[in-house]
Amino acid sequence: MYGLIDVAVIIVVFFFATWLPNFRLLWGVLGSSGVPFLDKLGLPLNLIGGIATNFTLFSASYTIAIAVLFGMNIAMIIYFLRRKIADARQAGISTGFLGIASGVLGIGCAACGSFILMNILTFIGASWVLSYLPLAGAEFGILGVSLLAISIYLTSRQIQNPTVCKI
Amino acid sequence: MENEIKQTNNLSIPITIIIAGVLIAGAVLSSNRSGTNNVASAPQPQAVAENTGGLGKLAPITSADHIRGNPSAPVEIVEYSDPECPFCKRFHSTMQQAMSEYGKNGKIAWVYRHFPLDQLHSKARKEAEATECANELGGSDKFWAYTDRLFEVTPSNNNLDPAELPKIATYVGLDIQKFNTCLSSGKYAKHIEDDVQNAQATGGNGTPWSIVVAKNGKKYPLSGAQPYASVKQLIELALQGK
Repeated sequence: MYGLIDVAVIIVVFFFATWLPNFRLLWGVLGSSGVPFLDKLGLPLNLIGGIATNFTLFSASYTIAIAVLFGMNIAMIIYFLRRKIADARQAGISTGFLGIASGVLGIGCAACGSFILMNILTFIGASWVLSYLPLAGAEFGILGVSLLAISIYLTSRQIQNPTVCKI
Repeated sequence: MENEIKQTNNLSIPITIIIAGVLIAGAVLSSNRSGTNNVASAPQPQAVAENTGGLGKLAPITSADHIRGNPSAPVEIVEYSDPECPFCKRFHSTMQQAMSEYGKNGKIAWVYRHFPLDQLHSKARKEAEATECANELGGSDKFWAYTDRLFEVTPSNNNLDPAELPKIATYVGLDIQKFNTCLSSGKYAKHIEDDVQNAQATGGNGTPWSIVVAKNGKKYPLSGAQPYASVKQLIELALQGK
């Protein structure tokens, strides 16, 4: 069951990342009554091909890594919570959420200009910050991968640790 | 002490979730508002059949635009592009492929507009001006020849040597003296800026940013260098007026 959860989350996150720049388009096409069903099905599938054309090898790599680590993380957290280890420290889980938050900033690259990051920076009037980031926002993707990996490590340690009563 | 640590750990999850939520909500909000926030004097064309906000602010396509293919084509693809963006370079080839399939029958027209991202590519704006100088000196054919060559030779990511700009002018057969005078004058800076403002007004926040316009006025926004299959599908939908 956890394997299925893992795969399902990986697919959802990966699709989310490839569709993110074009949610407006998808919303318009999928919500249009005049568009044939096959076209409604075909457009999202075609846009997934953007992983090869709309990402660099580097950004595609960390996007896939975030999806895989996120899937593992969610599956492990569900396993962890189902075991009801109530007294265990939750550092792993919170690190995972930080990793997800950071990863979201880095993924969904609308080609030049990371989609969410660019929006946030523009929103707060700080788009100039991008010129000071050597990887133009990919830093957040790397941070996300790192935090997710740390989270998996911490969560796995918590799962392995027996529940004990603290003195 | 232990209780304090425990309390901090208990709070860390909801706090991080709230932070993530705020970031994403801010991004979505700003995405929806980007047009109105960034543009004060962008052209306000007549409202047309819209499926999303912001696209109604697309500046009308006129003879002053750089149009490749049939100007009366039933489908027009307006592309806002940055000559130093590697994805624009890739998408330029995708658009050339679209033109070879649909352009030769007069079904689509490719409208090129400027969207240099200064934060990422400081050289792009001058390169955009260079294409305008090519247009001034040699008309539409030279504009496209210059733009094609520029995308061909640039290594992207702000790595084109500015000394290449006059070389490209020579390559496409422009008067080099006049080209250099035009380029140093900065006379097209406002034109470039107007395009940038319009790109942002329509919701563009990265490049390439394209809008497929059907004959019935319906618009399909396409962000990024999406695969040819996606572009082809949008062209077909626009041709059918769906």
